[in-house]
Amino acid sequence: MAFWNPRSETLPRPELEALQLRKLRLLVDRTLRDAPWQAERLRAAGITAGQDIASLQDLRRVTPLTREEWMETQLADPPFGAVLAQPRERAMRYHTTSGTSGGRPLAVLDSPKDWEWICEMWCYAFWGFGVRPVDTVFFAFSYGAFVGFWGAHYAAEKLGCLTLAGGNMTTEARVRQIIDTETTVVCSTPTYALRMAQEAEAMGVDLISSPVRRLILSGEPAGSIPATKALIERRWGAAAADTAGMTELGTIFMFECEHQPGGAHIIEDHYLEEVVDPESDEPVGYGEVGERVVTSFGRGFVPVIRYRTRDLVCRVQASDCGCGRTFDIYAGGIRGRVDDMKVIRGTNVYLRAIEQIVRRRSEIDEFRVRLYTVDGIRDEIEVSVERSDEAHGPEVDAWLSALGRELSSAHEGLRIEVALAEQGSLPRFELKAKRLVDEREVWGAPAGTAQTPPQEGSR
Amino acid sequence: MTDGPPPGAPDVVPSDAERALVQAYELLVDTLREHADDLPPFAARNAVKAAAALWQVANGLGLDPEHPYELGL
Repeated sequence: MAFWNPRSETLPRPELEALQLRKLRLLVDRTLRDAPWQAERLRAAGITAGQDIASLQDLRRVTPLTREEWMETQLADPPFGAVLAQPRERAMRYHTTSGTSGGRPLAVLDSPKDWEWICEMWCYAFWGFGVRPVDTVFFAFSYGAFVGFWGAHYAAEKLGCLTLAGGNMTTEARVRQIIDTETTVVCSTPTYALRMAQEAEAMGVDLISSPVRRLILSGEPAGSIPATKALIERRWGAAAADTAGMTELGTIFMFECEHQPGGAHIIEDHYLEEVVDPESDEPVGYGEVGERVVTSFGRGFVPVIRYRTRDLVCRVQASDCGCGRTFDIYAGGIRGRVDDMKVIRGTNVYLRAIEQIVRRRSEIDEFRVRLYTVDGIRDEIEVSVERSDEAHGPEVDAWLSALGRELSSAHEGLRIEVALAEQGSLPRFELKAKRLVDEREVWGAPAGTAQTPPQEGSR
Repeated sequence: MTDGPPPGAPDVVPSDAERALVQAYELLVDTLREHADDLPPFAARNAVKAAAALWQVANGLGLDPEHPYELGL
């Protein structure tokens, strides 16, 4: 059976939306009863009972919740803010966002039932990508407060897989254990999948002939960047699937199925996902890029209604995939963040677009993008790349120039300096990669003042 | 809940096997509600764990199970 929940994953669209409407009304009733902070927002929109929601579109009357508002209540009423719908003594899990933005992480709680639901969402992904009880699943994950792959770990256990917790290990030790245990499925960030492949090569380990057949990626948008994904699949000799979730939801909201349609299915029987114009908040249509606004039906401890994610996505119909699911797809996964876009001398620059070009060259092991200001007024962009071999001389200079031209051509002729970094000099990442360093000076601020880092998004 | 879909629900008709699991969930919840204080810890907490898993079955069938957090769920 290809589906974890065949009934809901193949519901005809009208029935799926009827199910969502019913779940939405129940969520509204529960929120009004148990979660005063979130209820205030509903009442402000004139919603005083679930029955006030006549259609899914009615939810648009509710002003979206922002990460900043969530953080404000957490700071005002630490450690969780006013978001909890139940007393904390009923919780059994504590988790936080990753903290990679440099700011204070958001903290959340879950009950046993919510935690099971969190694992349940991962089961959709694992089963949908062909993971079965006979598999051996290795998690290259640090098992800390960040929720990351925690839910996935328990999902693998629920499926009956042999589940290997790869926390507190060096990369070499992880590669060794993957080989020694005849692991068939590896879970990691896209960046770390590449890091392990590099390490395996250095160790003389041939991953392609290993039993690993599937990689479940999460934590970074790169899992859906075609060039990066192709590179990971080539280096491992295995199929890679993208997933994405958020600590604010506790788990994933989308997964890539075995058909690999170039995107990920939204788990629509548990979420209501809207895509809106980030400026006007008006909904955008199929095939248009906009910002995700999410409502979660499953996690009762922290009701999430119309949460503004800042994730950029492009929704397409389920029929774009031949798997038979009726869950719509985010084509290309998470396409970036609303606040990821950098403007360099009038040209929009996205890290994702740069990665797509850089990763076409398999000889590049690592890269970093640095934005800086010259003479206090002119913004510049530099891409440093680390090669996997030790080639030098004119051939390398020509190669770097060619890469610079490709990057420039993809950015309206913007001059992009490409520099060769020494092998091993660029940082490696286990969790969320931070390859963009913004050192630009802000006009009117002291020289060297960095710009505000972007908030965390889907993992 | 086991008599069929709630008002306004799509035509969810659980199979006999699915219905049995939903009934097991309801039995667990009723037992915890009425006898949680009488049960030894090993029985009460294992029942909560089982109910948390079976809640997913009822929810996955679109049967709108309640959220009995007060039972430790």
